[in-house]
This record gives sequence, structure tokens and C-alpha cells, in this order.
Amino acid sequence: MATPSNSSTPSASNSATPSTTNRTDVGADRVVALTLKIGAYLAFSLIAAGLVMQIWLPMGKRVASAGLLVLLFTPLVRIVVAGLQFAHERDWKYVVVSAVVLGVMVLAYALGIKV
Amino acid sequence: MSTATILALMAVGFFTGGFGAVAGIGGGVIITPLLMMYFGLPMQQAIGVTLVAVIATSTATSSLFVERHVTDIRLGMTLEIATTVGAMIAALLAPHVDRRTLAVLFTVFLLYTAFSLVKKAWDTRKQKKHDEVADYTVHNYPIGLGASLIAGGMSGLLGIGGGPIKVPVMLLFMKVPLRVAAATSNFMIGVTAATSALIYWGRGDVNISVATPLVAGVFAGSLLGARLAPKVRPVYVLGLLIVLLSWLGIQMLARLLSGGIH
Repeated sequence: MATPSNSSTPSASNSATPSTTNRTDVGADRVVALTLKIGAYLAFSLIAAGLVMQIWLPMGKRVASAGLLVLLFTPLVRIVVAGLQFAHERDWKYVVVSAVVLGVMVLAYALGIKV
Repeated sequence: MSTATILALMAVGFFTGGFGAVAGIGGGVIITPLLMMYFGLPMQQAIGVTLVAVIATSTATSSLFVERHVTDIRLGMTLEIATTVGAMIAALLAPHVDRRTLAVLFTVFLLYTAFSLVKKAWDTRKQKKHDEVADYTVHNYPIGLGASLIAGGMSGLLGIGGGPIKVPVMLLFMKVPLRVAAATSNFMIGVTAATSALIYWGRGDVNISVATPLVAGVFAGSLLGARLAPKVRPVYVLGLLIVLLSWLGIQMLARLLSGGIH
């Protein structure tokens, strides 16, 4: 049986506090999904085109490797895009998080080419 | 490389990408042993190529999960601080680690993945489909960061994504709903694997002739799989993957015992 006291506290369990709305940041989700999609389709197209070209032309291999490089750098671009979006939302904590992750990736790249 | 090999690599990519997207695994744990045992790649190259394939799965499928607001990108990026550090250190150490030790670690992880899929198949047996994810608050960041450091290290060392480590920790300790944990783990794998892949690439361990047809197959398979995933009952796919993983695990054990891995 519904009692008046129940209906007087409708938002007690369902209020949207910042800590529970991580997932519903529509703006950040949209730009990140778009970045991943562009990266995925661009890499896929270059690799597929390169593989087909390879049958007749030696430069096909270069086109396909360019596709692999696009794939390798898509996650890096994704971090930059997310960081810019967080800055636009003035969510400075996650601007710092993005910067740190980007820093580690750049460091790995710098160490990687020296090894 | 022969046309037959190129087509075989595309097929391997297509099926691991497709089944992986439906079952929610990256598929790295399947690709590495296949490349070692059937395509004759040395272990470091097999791992380097697998890392690139794993980035492809993550990028293709997480573009869809992020769009559907299942992924928690803030949680994912926070944990990426730990996965990338682990991946970088492990990728730098990998060439100096004894191959047999790596192969043993890999086989253990492979069998653990098979076990985690058995558990998943059992749990989803009579579960109803529900699209809404309840609100949640993330708990226990230190434990999550610790597990992410280990998962990143395993990724840099073995080429895998490390989902079976991160997902249970997010679920049990961080109190994140299963669908969000799986999507977020998948989202993190792109950045984690790219960090190690940059180091493997710099070392010349990403064999381009092998990687390109494999990645083309992975893209096609995982884009298709991610679209089919909401409509397909995963139990059969899970069953198939469990059989495949157990078989690969037994093959790896046999090679280890006969001294076939150097």
C-alpha cells in the first residue's frame, strides 16, 4: 500500500549527483565516439586499400602501413580530444587525468624509438 | 607471403574480432598462440602483432559502446593512468624476460580466460536482457588502480588486453555494473595496447606484412560482431571460445613440456 510518507521522498534513491552521472556526459561521449569511429574507419580503409593495391603495386604496402600508424595513434588523439572536451566543460580534474595519460604515452613513444 | 597465408590471417582476424565482440573479449589471448604455432612467428613478433590487433578491436567496438553511453570514460581514463604505466614498463622489460617464463605466464592467463568465460556462460544462462543501467557510485579507486597496473603490465608483456583482470575488480571492488565494467575495460585497452605497441613498433617487432591482413579481418569482424551482439545469444559463442581456448592452452602446455618454445 502506498502511503503519503513514501511519496513525499521521491528523489531519495534516484537523485543525480555528479558521482553517478559519469556515464551520461553526452558531450564527451559524442566527441570521443566520433574520434574512435573516424580513426577506425580511416585505418580500416587505408589497410584494405593497401592490401588490394599490393597485388599490383609495391606502394600498396606503404598505404597499408600508414593505416596501421593511424590505428596506433587513434588512442592518443582520443586522449587529446577528451582532454579538450573536459577543459571546455571546466572539469579540471579530468583535464589533469587526460594530460597525465597523454604524458605516459608520449614518454613510451620517446623511449620506444630509442630502444 | 603467399596469398593463402594472407587470406588465412584475414580469416583469423575476422573470427576472433567477431566472436570477441559478441563474447566481450579482445581476442589477444587467441591470436598470439595461433601466430606462434601456425604462422611461425617468434614470440616477440607474435605479441607485437597481437597488440595492434587488440587496438583494432577496442577502437571499433568502443566507438559503439561510448555512443550508447555504456562506457564510463572518466573512470576509464582515470584507470588508464595505471594501465599505461604498467604497459610501458612491461613492454620495455619484455625482451629481457626468459621466453619460457613468458610462455608459462601466457598459458596460465589463457586458461584463466577460459575459466572466466565458463563462469560468464553460467551467469548469463538464464539472465534476461536489460538495457537500462542503474546509477552507481565508483568505490575503491586504489584497488582499481592496482589491478589496472597489473593488467597493463600483462598487456605489455603478453600482448593481451587484460579484460579478465579488470572486469571482476571493477565489478566486485569498485561496485560498477557488469555492462559498464566490460565496456570501460574494452575502452581502456586501446590506450593501454597502443602504449606497448609504440615500444614494440620502435623495436621492429610489429611485422607489417602479418599485421595488415590480420587487422583488416579484425576490423570487419568486430564491427559486425558489435552490431550483432545485442541480438545474439552469447552462450553458443562463449561455448565455442571455451573449447578453442582450452585447446590452445593444451597445445601451449604440450609445446612447453616438449621444449618447443625458445
